[in-house]
Amino acid sequence: MEVFEHLATGFMAAGSLENLMFCLIGVVLGTLIGVLPGIGPIPALAILLPITFGLDPLSSLIMLAGIYYGAQYGGSTTSILVNMPGEASSVVTCIEGHQMARKGRAGAALAIAALGSFFAGTIGTVFIAAFGPPLASIAQQFNSPDYFALMLLGLVMAIVLAHGSVLKAVAMVLIGLLLGLVGTDINTGLTRYTFGLSGLWEGIDFLPLVLGLFGIVEIIRNLENPPPPREAISTRMRDMWPTKKEFREAYPAALRGTGLGSLLGILPGGGAVLASFASYTLEKKISKNPRKFGTGAVEGVAGPEAANNAAAQTSFIPLLTLGIPSNPIMAIMMGAMIIQGIQPGAAVMTTRPDLFWGMVASMWIGNLMLVVINLPMIGIWVKLLSVPYRLLYPAILLFCAIGVYSTSTEPFMMVLMIVFTVFGYVLFKLGCEPAPMVLGFILGPLMEENLRRSLVISRGDPMIFINRPISATLLAATLLMLCLIIFPQFRKTREEAFQEE
Amino acid sequence: MVIKSPQDFGAGILFILFGAIGLYVGSDLTFGSARNMGPGYFPMIICGLIALIGLIVTVKSLAIEGPAIERIRLRPIIFILLAIAAFGMLIAEIGAVISSVLLIMFAAYARRDVNPVETVVFAVTTAAFVVIIFVYALGQPMPVWWGR
Repeated sequence: MEVFEHLATGFMAAGSLENLMFCLIGVVLGTLIGVLPGIGPIPALAILLPITFGLDPLSSLIMLAGIYYGAQYGGSTTSILVNMPGEASSVVTCIEGHQMARKGRAGAALAIAALGSFFAGTIGTVFIAAFGPPLASIAQQFNSPDYFALMLLGLVMAIVLAHGSVLKAVAMVLIGLLLGLVGTDINTGLTRYTFGLSGLWEGIDFLPLVLGLFGIVEIIRNLENPPPPREAISTRMRDMWPTKKEFREAYPAALRGTGLGSLLGILPGGGAVLASFASYTLEKKISKNPRKFGTGAVEGVAGPEAANNAAAQTSFIPLLTLGIPSNPIMAIMMGAMIIQGIQPGAAVMTTRPDLFWGMVASMWIGNLMLVVINLPMIGIWVKLLSVPYRLLYPAILLFCAIGVYSTSTEPFMMVLMIVFTVFGYVLFKLGCEPAPMVLGFILGPLMEENLRRSLVISRGDPMIFINRPISATLLAATLLMLCLIIFPQFRKTREEAFQEE
Repeated sequence: MVIKSPQDFGAGILFILFGAIGLYVGSDLTFGSARNMGPGYFPMIICGLIALIGLIVTVKSLAIEGPAIERIRLRPIIFILLAIAAFGMLIAEIGAVISSVLLIMFAAYARRDVNPVETVVFAVTTAAFVVIIFVYALGQPMPVWWGR
């Protein structure tokens, strides 16, 4: 079996002592940041991004992936114990998990979330190993028009999934695209939108942008509206084991969640958030006793937690095979890969098999480490919640500043970070969510290039997008999504889904 | 004219500004044609769309009720920005240790009721810790002290 051969390559690469260590550091740091209330995976990745730059590419990707899963795990822990979702994908965990905790089943809820996630992570890894290569060969059939259509679909999905007003989300994506175009135009060598600043010739630097928009704005937000101090519900190790009944309820839900999550993760725009909401809705729909949802339904923890982890894994597939990030988190991963000098895409699998398979294998290893460090050490993580914010935020700020400085000693980078902090602050005050903007930022140059190439091939005839089956299908899907946004019934569901936060 | 949704009104104006500046600054880039896209083609379309959406959002904000803009508190943002600016300007001159301490001191004053003693102790330990991680463990090139 080729799959196992590939996985063996991966485990060889990821299993080196050094990489195991970086994986461990990644998941620990990720959990550490993820546990802190209000810090989701995007700020967590942004804040910790700089420390991975000095490493070789594989180690740094392993560590980043670890940070991502770790942050998600940490987020579930806070959701269950403190009723504070660190990120959108653990909102539903909050609903049922915290209710379980209040009934004295905090330990069981944590264990179910962790085991469900681990199970989903395992299946997700196999999924990538099995479907990565075939998808990569499909990717070889992709031509410029198809790439363009795929990116369009991804951006529209990002708009559907963004909080709040659809129009504002569209504008955010467009502003992101525009910011992505700043710098030297690769075709003509002309500089665009640089305002005469030489620091912008190579485009807006990724790190100051994400750190400003997500890391530092987050701090200012918390300082303006201090989160109310909330008691964490305590739990002991020996209360961890779920009862037989809970287990019986949990495992089918986890199975369904895994399946759903794995599929939704691959879709453009898909990912952890979509998967957890979808799984929660599914569980509620098929449950014989839907009324227990909202009062601590075990299925409502197991399903969404499995789904979000499975989707987190499989959403790497579009990035690694097509070179297109499907959601803002993958956009940050892609930014990190580019900084490492790796252009994500189908070529990675053939030119650097150790990198691709090593990363896949490390995902499983990372998930295993998470179960091991999360369950027995839960007490330590909960203690972390009692670190006062007045000490926490200056340290986070210092981390951001040193991070930027260590990648570029140009004072201009600090200026950029300040500019994006101010910009992010204005956006926050005006109720605009910046996450879709990052996706646009990463996709901007790619979209322009593929549009240009498509239209060169077709001699300016836009029908090329409809004449090719792949792009036509993707555009049809895009159109469908656009209709869904305009269609009032769906719009209501979307608003309700976000209401629950 | 009554603004019914201040948040959306502000956002709309911001988008219009963004689009307009984009169109103005990009106006000297060659637009080209679909067949032969110039460097201005894609950005101009995008700026046009941004401005258009800005217009719609602004008009809607006059008709449909929406949330008010939360009060802006100057203290947090000003001290946070000062902290970063001080760090960025000084690190090359006085090294990572002292500029880190300064950053934390400035940042701490973004809140009211600062405990100066605690802040100094915390600043020194954190600076030491961060410099050890970044300079010694991760080998990032940056001046630790002044005079280099």
